[in-house]
Amino acid sequence: MVEIIGAYQVSLITTMGISVILALSLNLITGFCGQISLGHAAFIGAGAYGAAMLTTAGWPFAAGLAAGTAIAAVLGLVVGLASLRVRHDFLAITTMGVGFLFLGVVRQQEWLGGEMGISSIPDAGLGKGGYMVLVVLIAAAIALFSVHLKRSWMGYAFDAIADDEDTARMVGVDAARYKLTAFAMGTGLAGLGGGLYAHDVKFIAPDSFGFIESITILSMVVIGGIGPVWGVIVAAAVLSVLPFWFQFIEEYKLLLYGGLLFAVMRFSPGGLAGFVAGFVAKHKRRRAAAP
Amino acid sequence: MKSFFGKVPFLALAGVLAAGAAAADTVKIGFNAPLTGFAAADGKSANIGAQLAVDQANAEGGINGKQIELVVYDDQASPKNSVPIANKLIGQDKVKIGISGSYSGATRAAAGVYQAAGIPYISAYAVHPDITRAGDYVFRTSFVGEVQGRAGAKLVGETLGKKKVVLIVLKNDFGKSLANGFKEKAALFGITVAGEYEYSIKDRQFGPIVSKVKADAPEAIYATGYFFTAGPLVNQLRAAGVTVPVIGQEGYDSQKFIEIAGAAAEGVVITTSLDRDSKSPETSGFIAAFEKKAGYKADMVAASGHTAAKVAIAAMRKAGTDDPKAIRDAIASITLQASTGKISFNKLGEVRKDVQVQVVRDGQWHHYSVISDDKLLAPPEM
Amino acid sequence: MLAFELFMQGLVQGSIYALIAVGLTLVYGLLRILHVAHAGLFTLGGYIGVLVTNATGSLALALLTAMIAVGFVGMALYRFCYQPILDRPPYVALIASIGLFIAMEEIFRIIFGPYGLSYTAPPLQAPIILLGMNLKAAEILTMVGALILIGGLGVLAGRTRTGIAWRATVKDPQMAESFGIDIVKVRYLNFFIGSALAAAAGVMVALLNNLVEPTMGSVPSYKALAIIVLGGLGNVRGTLIASLALGVIESFGTIYLGFLLDRDAIAFAFLILVLMIRPQGLVGRSNG
Repeated sequence: MVEIIGAYQVSLITTMGISVILALSLNLITGFCGQISLGHAAFIGAGAYGAAMLTTAGWPFAAGLAAGTAIAAVLGLVVGLASLRVRHDFLAITTMGVGFLFLGVVRQQEWLGGEMGISSIPDAGLGKGGYMVLVVLIAAAIALFSVHLKRSWMGYAFDAIADDEDTARMVGVDAARYKLTAFAMGTGLAGLGGGLYAHDVKFIAPDSFGFIESITILSMVVIGGIGPVWGVIVAAAVLSVLPFWFQFIEEYKLLLYGGLLFAVMRFSPGGLAGFVAGFVAKHKRRRAAAP
Repeated sequence: MKSFFGKVPFLALAGVLAAGAAAADTVKIGFNAPLTGFAAADGKSANIGAQLAVDQANAEGGINGKQIELVVYDDQASPKNSVPIANKLIGQDKVKIGISGSYSGATRAAAGVYQAAGIPYISAYAVHPDITRAGDYVFRTSFVGEVQGRAGAKLVGETLGKKKVVLIVLKNDFGKSLANGFKEKAALFGITVAGEYEYSIKDRQFGPIVSKVKADAPEAIYATGYFFTAGPLVNQLRAAGVTVPVIGQEGYDSQKFIEIAGAAAEGVVITTSLDRDSKSPETSGFIAAFEKKAGYKADMVAASGHTAAKVAIAAMRKAGTDDPKAIRDAIASITLQASTGKISFNKLGEVRKDVQVQVVRDGQWHHYSVISDDKLLAPPEM
Repeated sequence: MLAFELFMQGLVQGSIYALIAVGLTLVYGLLRILHVAHAGLFTLGGYIGVLVTNATGSLALALLTAMIAVGFVGMALYRFCYQPILDRPPYVALIASIGLFIAMEEIFRIIFGPYGLSYTAPPLQAPIILLGMNLKAAEILTMVGALILIGGLGVLAGRTRTGIAWRATVKDPQMAESFGIDIVKVRYLNFFIGSALAAAAGVMVALLNNLVEPTMGSVPSYKALAIIVLGGLGNVRGTLIASLALGVIESFGTIYLGFLLDRDAIAFAFLILVLMIRPQGLVGRSNG
């Protein structure tokens, strides 16, 4: 595999796959259930630290990855419980606070490596090509799961909550339970992505899980259209390798990135999916859009 | 999904073809540095420093008749970016050696990739102790934080004769490892630590710490940080009436520090790698050439980038072949007079050189003393 | 004595927070937008302050230029960035604002360079002995300046026709419109004043640190969000209290809680605590 497409492409596809996993995990919370989170990196970090600490201590890769996922999901459940009290903008700021708090605490923990982070994370033992295949398979599985979830009863309940929580409650949807479920699933998968990231890069430090990381993942979801699975996948795949494609104009890379985020929101808030859907059904949409 | 991934190798192929045409008889050196983001200033200096070494070598005829090309990618000082970049430099650009002009996280992550591929990698100025522990293909031309911290203890306790010291510590791998080295040897030089305060890399306002330091009434302050944190810190210490000596490290080493701290910078002493008043033609030549090329004064990061590139070039000349193993062996056994002094490497790939002590006088960095104490400055061996 | 000094330092920092957060909370009160790019205007103010001072030697002129110029930039931001997306869900504006902020930081870096700028002859660096402690003149200016500017804002809002129209619009836009108040004009005014205050904060931070950098807005931007929530979104008085309280708490926290928690995490620890107890924020707002 590595010989055919080259180490660089393998490395890029791995990065891309991890981004897709992370974006889809946030999409469960923000896209499906309508709960804006600005602190997703905390859960990615929890999974990365959990998995890395355990495999460094001698656990097998799969067990470490599973434990990281579980740690992130438990943390997500706790934050989810707390978040039930707040909504909309307050929720956005609360989750942002969770992200900053997570970093603030991890920085001070010497047993987690403190500012030095954790280096020498053991190799997963699959080889570069094997690892890429694993990441892509997991990403594909999560994509299929997302599509399936969207069509299930739970998916409809999520939709109802995202649409209008009060109405959903009124027709008997147990909003709290569904929101918690979305949080636990989304943060658990974020932890899984974090564990995969840790064993790809093999070095983690607090700075890798900061606010910018949360925003990066959120922008993938947003540019993908917030909800549509394929839109989010394409956005995550493209945005994660955008920095590498834009190397030739590296001076302006972040400018482009920020500008793009702004422009999509300003001119096509439905994101990529909305843009394409609008393009395909332009006339139909124009008629339907009149309030 | 399949068709999407199918496109990637095609793009790569196009890239290889385009690159291949131009690069028929050049030798490539890989270089990753933060050219955007918070660390962009250091990345730029390191990049210009390394490019200067390449230009100088090309003017002398390159490496064994071939011109040298520095292939530069922006890693934003992020490990997430440096890993694919290392793979790209090795797999696609086919560099024979890599240089990091980046910070610790990015460098540590990339070091693993270079080690696994068996390509030598030289870290110009990143301080994380685990970088060289990635393996025997990884070298470092700057001091590990601990070594420089020990030199700081000697400077404070012996050279300056100050015994009651307050530590102000930047909370990252750089600031903490310096402080650890300092504390490790403090007792040896009769120093007592009267207080220790931490700040984050984003802090520019040190009012509370300054107030507390004043109350502690130390004889000297050992403050770790970079010019953009140390500048405001020293400025605010002096404004609050704290007049005791402030001792810094290579992170201060920039003309920008003096600009920010203003008159308060006078008398600040630092441990670093670049001697502004050096009689060595290698160093004075670099300082002049860098200012001409960059349009601003040389700093430690620039000199480190220059030194790392110089080591890479010298090793490739010495090896006389493209074989990475031969180049690695050449680095391991090299002894070289560079802009940061006479350097060689120990078993782990850590540099052995003297610590330069500089002081701010009349708004310029000047020579203060040199610490050459092999035992104190011995880098870790494993 | 030390406690008093720490308290005063906290007030200096709190004044800066207040100048930034007031504009943010005004924007939220009127438009329900979390205006992250506000911190970009703060940075712009700092740059203009340093550039004009270095060119003319007059700090007063620099402060005035920065406030007016940035005020207009704020109005332009509203017109071209926010106005077209006002009827979208709130996250649209929030994310657009974050993108805008990242882009602004990059524009500063590309135009002014990554190293930041300093005053060639930093003004107001002389120490002043006040109640037995050394304060930089710039620190006094920060506190007094914040007091005057925000006090002036209070007078404007409470005693003038414009101010009354403004407050009426914040309270109930539809009602205000039916009384013949030009809501669009009020919004422009709102952005002008909020942005000008942020610019003043930028100039003062530049004085305190003798340094303006492209990224100087990143910490204030997110911390100010926490502050305005603590102050009860849209509530100016609550925001002032929260700003000063946070400044003082951080000042003591830096010295006595440093081993436990990052200084920048303190605000968010409080934020979460308060939101769990009082989901409407510390000071609360009427559910409107």
